[in-house]
Parts: sequence; structure tokens; C-alpha cells
Amino acid sequence: MPKPAIQVRDLVKKYGDLSAVNCISFDVQRGQVFSFLGPNGAGKTTTVEMIETIRTPTSGHIDILGMELKKNRSSVLKRIGVLPQDFNSFDRLTVRETVKFFSGLFNGIRDVDELIKLVNLEDERDKLYMNLSGGLKQRVGIAVALVNDPEIVFLDEPTTGLDPRARHDVWDVIKGLKQRGKTVFLTTHYMEEAEVLSDYLAIISKGSIIAEGAPLELIDKHCNTIKMTIRGGPAEIENVVRERGLTLEDAANGDVTVQIEDNAQILDLLNLLKSRNLSYHSLDIRKATLEEVFLTLTGESLTGELAEEEPSTGELAEEEPSTDEQAGGMPLTGAPLTDNQATVEEPLTPGGDVQ
Amino acid sequence: MNMTRLKVTFSMLMKEFYRNKAVMFFVLLFPILLMVLFGFIFSDQDEVQYILPIQNMDGGSHSWNFTQTLNDTGLFEIRLVDTDLDPYDYLLQQKTNTILVIPHGYQAEMDQIIIQRFIMGQPNNDTANLTLIIDPASTAAMVKTQMLDSLVGAINKGMAGVPDVIGMDIETTVSDQFKAIDFFAPGIIAMSVMTTALFGTVGMNTELRQKGILRKLATTPLTRAEWLVTNVLYQFVMGGLSTISIIIVGMILFGLQPQINLFLPLFIILNVFAFSGIGMLITRFVKDAESAQAAANAVMFPMMFLSGTFFPLEQMPDFLQTIAGFLPLYYVNEGLRSAMINPDMGVMAFNALVIGVVGIVMFILGILLTSWKDE
Repeated sequence: MPKPAIQVRDLVKKYGDLSAVNCISFDVQRGQVFSFLGPNGAGKTTTVEMIETIRTPTSGHIDILGMELKKNRSSVLKRIGVLPQDFNSFDRLTVRETVKFFSGLFNGIRDVDELIKLVNLEDERDKLYMNLSGGLKQRVGIAVALVNDPEIVFLDEPTTGLDPRARHDVWDVIKGLKQRGKTVFLTTHYMEEAEVLSDYLAIISKGSIIAEGAPLELIDKHCNTIKMTIRGGPAEIENVVRERGLTLEDAANGDVTVQIEDNAQILDLLNLLKSRNLSYHSLDIRKATLEEVFLTLTGESLTGELAEEEPSTGELAEEEPSTDEQAGGMPLTGAPLTDNQATVEEPLTPGGDVQ
Repeated sequence: MNMTRLKVTFSMLMKEFYRNKAVMFFVLLFPILLMVLFGFIFSDQDEVQYILPIQNMDGGSHSWNFTQTLNDTGLFEIRLVDTDLDPYDYLLQQKTNTILVIPHGYQAEMDQIIIQRFIMGQPNNDTANLTLIIDPASTAAMVKTQMLDSLVGAINKGMAGVPDVIGMDIETTVSDQFKAIDFFAPGIIAMSVMTTALFGTVGMNTELRQKGILRKLATTPLTRAEWLVTNVLYQFVMGGLSTISIIIVGMILFGLQPQINLFLPLFIILNVFAFSGIGMLITRFVKDAESAQAAANAVMFPMMFLSGTFFPLEQMPDFLQTIAGFLPLYYVNEGLRSAMINPDMGVMAFNALVIGVVGIVMFILGILLTSWKDE
């Protein structure tokens, strides 16, 4: 079995008394998309920047492509590509000049025009960087991260602040990277992004990894329920659900959401509705998402305690500045939560309010 | 140091500069504006005067003629010193840097030489000597010595051809009139190059850090030292452009007649080194852009007004002159002035040495103390 692309052991980063990263260990296998998932201030960027050599760990070991990072910094840099958080480049260079400049720093391993094509920026090739939209800038950043044909590509919150369309464009590029056999290290606070893109993910909270595995594995392990929502039906449906002994999760405006533990229960319930002539508008059946996994894993401790810990979380969040929470999409923290969990929202996003 | 990376980075910076109108203004037009502004402000006082105390122990007509000749050049403000005083005491008490003593017997000696050479036709190498007492630490004294030296040379030249000493036309023999513009053009060059290097370095590095571009560069093979060297090269070009634009405008509008020699570019380079280095140190310790600008201003203003950019330091109070001695720009001003007005190897070399040491120390500190990692 080949050595993992990245091996992290007992990694710690302290700022004074504050532990931003609290003794974490993980492996990233070659050719996989590995996601680091967590709210703002959880320690994602601090960790990834230690691996990218931008920050110095307080203690711990990092091996990249079989090399110890501390001793092989420059050899490692030649074989990895980095899209830092909030990527920005020189305002007055065109897209082509930007890619060419960074390519020049690596002695021009890959063809500049080919890279521009890869991220679909052919039409913007001669536009100045300063005149590009956020999504296009991110794509320039990805092209720049690939100039040295790296074996591992680090993308730190590549879609934060992008509109849904631009986000999907970036996802397509990431999928393309995986097809080309690259190892991708993605950090994100968007559950959906991690779920769609990753082969393996680690959930990080308050500087520690609290769960890791393939997305579906994690869902099966921590949140193995199906939710069915019956939309646009009469109020009696609620009674039928109770009658069957099923857990009623939510009922409002004629929409009834039921927790299903076994697929047979779905048919059973639908047949019963039919036999009683209870009609409805539509059905929505879905498996739990990573969203729910995260809430299951952290929800308990988050509600009460976190409000008190807010100052420290706030300081941490400054390490990962300017995360645009308002920018649409489905951020982990601003996600559609149920009523009793909605209180979690505020304390979880101290970084988001800074903006 | 990888030459390809230096080249790639340097040409990138030049491209950015070429497309950035604001920086273009700061580097090219701002110094010209300053030059024009000060050019007109000072144009009514077209000559800068150095104070020259003269103690005439002789009192004969030749000595008075000589004093008058010096006065007529307009280069000096002559102050006559009482013959009872000891000239060394006078230097100390008045805290001045120069005194010219016309010794007793000057008249007689001069007469004898003239009689021997021109009437009796006996060539000889005798001279009637003047005594110039100077404070060797003062660069103003150096300038005065130079000026007197060339004046005396001109008078001697005149005496060889024309038997009569009186009524000699100095104006035609001293070809370079020392005008105000000649005095402050080097000052404006020194100041512009300083501001460009200081604010250029601070501005670029804080902006790039705030935008996260430095973080990105840190993940490329470009080393911190390579980046700083490229920055300084870029600032050299900026400083050079400022200098050239000032000299051209000075020549066209105000009849500036600079001496051009190798010390001119040398002082520009050392100036850039010193102030890019200071700029690097500022960005190392002051992280956010606005405070860094403020810090750069705090460095710039005293330099601008206290290091003799616009006025000869001699006209300032003593304590300000003492402070000036600690300002790097003072040495650039003094050296550049010497290089552009009356090149004197001693003056230029001394000032180049001082500013060179400051520059190298600042630059090395800049490289040692700053790192890509921002923690």
C-alpha cells in the first residue's frame, strides 16, 4: 500500500494560552478529495496553513509525499499547489499574465493557456484581475495553484462568498482535478460542498477532529434516519402518523415531516393514506445530510456552553478573517435549523458577524 | 538567489507600475510639482549665501580689495571680525565653522611679489598666503573651502595675465553661478527618492499582506530574500525615474546645471537601500496599512524638514543642526549636493560611507527580521 499523500500526527498550534489546533492526527490518501469541515474558527485554516508551510506548528509531525515537512520545505513546495483562503492577486495583471507570473516562479512546468482553458477562463484571458468577479478570481486562483502540476492541491474555502452558480463552476473544476488523479485537500464550512465533493472528510470543531470517514459512512453511523415530508395534505395526516407510532418531526402549513427508520414504513404509511382517501400534493423523501451529522455530534454541547465560550471562539475566528456568511449557499452555521436548535446559530458564527 | 525568479518578479512589478496611474503620479509628477513649486518660491533669491567671517589683520588696500571681491561674488555673506580676537576663540564662541584670516604683512608680501614678477621680471613661486581656519567636521566648511579655493584660483589666473589686481572681473572667471536651484534640486531629489522608496515599500508590502498575496507567494519557491531584492531593484528604478524627471524639469525651467558624476547614481542607490530597509522594518512591526502609513510619515517629516532639504542647515538653530546629524537623509543631502554642485571626493566619500552603512544595516535587518509567515 502506498504511503498516504499527507500524514499529520499530534499537530498542535497555540497562540499564547489559546489552542487553535489541539493535537490532531489524520491521513490523506493519494488521489482522494479530502475535506476538512467545520465552522469558522474551528481551526481549519490554521491546520491547513501549517501543512502549506505558511504557519509553524507549536508541535507535531507533518509528512507530505513521504517527506518530513520541516526538513524538506522547498522540495515539498514544488510538489503542492495552494489556493489560500481569500485568494487575491496583483490587480493590474491580466489573467494570462497572472498565471504566467506564478508559472515563472516554478520555472513554467505547465502550459499557461492550457491551464486557463482548464478553469474555463479563455474569454477573460486578457482582462485585468481587478476587473473580474469573485467567482472568476477564485478560478484564476485555482489555475495559479496548478502551475507546477502539483500532486496535492490545497483549496482553502474555495467557494466562500461566491454565488451558487460560481460555486458550482468551482465544484466542476475540483471534480476535474480528481479525475486527473490529483489529491485534493479541501477546507470548507459548507456541508453540501463537502458531501458532494469528498471521498473522505474530517469534521473539526474547536481545534479537534470529532469525526471522520466517507460522507455516507458518517451519515449512516451518526444519523441513520430518513425524513419524509408530505406536502399540501389535510391536517388528519398528522393523526395517521401518530396512529402508526412514527416520530413526527415537524408539522406546519399542511406539511408533515416524519422520521423513518425502515424503508418499509414508507410504503406502509402511503398505503394507509390512500386507503383513507387522504390526498396530498407531493412527497419529499431524503436521507440525513452531513448537516444533521454535525448537529448530532456537536449540537448537545453547542447550545448552552458555547455562548459562554464565545470570546475565545471569537479570537480564534480572527485567525480566519472575512468569511462572507451572507453570500448565499448553505453554510454550515446559517443552515435551516429546526426551532429549538436555532439558538445555536448565533454563538456558532462569531467570525461571520465580523464582516 | 534564483535569477529567473528575480526576473519574472521584477518584470511583473514593472508591468503593474506601468498600469498604475496613482503610483506613476507619485513617482514622476509629484517630484516635478515639488520642483516647480519650490523653484518659483525661491526664484527671487537666486543665490544662496554662506556666511564667511573674515579677520583682516593686514588692513592694506589689497586685503580690502580681496574682501570686496569675495563680497561681490554674492556667494558669501561677509562678516568682519575684530582684529583683537583670537580667530580660534572666535570659531568656538560663535559656533561657526569657518574663518578666513588675512595675515599681517599680506599687503607688503603681495607688493613684493608683484614688483618682482612684473616690474623686475624675476619669475618666482612666492605667494602671499591667506589663512583659512575650518572646523573639519563641518560639511558646510568643506563647501566654503571649495568655493574659496576656486575663487582664489580664479584671482591668481587673472593676476598672471593682468598686472593690476584691482578691478578684476570675477563673474566671468567663475563660470558656475551657485544659484538657489542648484542648492535645493539635490535636496528635492534626495527627498523624492526617500519618499518613493519608503512609501513604495511600505505601501506595497502592507497592501500585498492585507490582500493575502504575500501568503500566496510564501507557497511558491520565491524566497523572502528574493522578494525583498526584487522590491529594492524596483525601487531603484522608481528612484531613478524621479531623479531624471527632476533634473530635466530643473534644467528646462530653472536653468539647473548639475554636475553629473558616478556619485549621483551612487547616492540614489544608497538612499533607496536605506529607506526601503526602513520601510521593510516598518511593515514588519506595524501590521495594518493605516498605522504603517502613519509610521512612514513619522519617519519622513523630520527628515524632510531637518536634514537640510530646502535650506542650508547653517540657517537653523544649533540643536536642530545636532538632530540633523542623526538623520540618514542629511548625509544623502550633503553628499548629493557635493556631487551635483562642487564634487569633492572627501565630502562625497564620507557621506556615501555613512549612508551606505545605514542602508546595508537596514536592508540586512529587513531581510533577517521579516518572514513570509505572519504570526
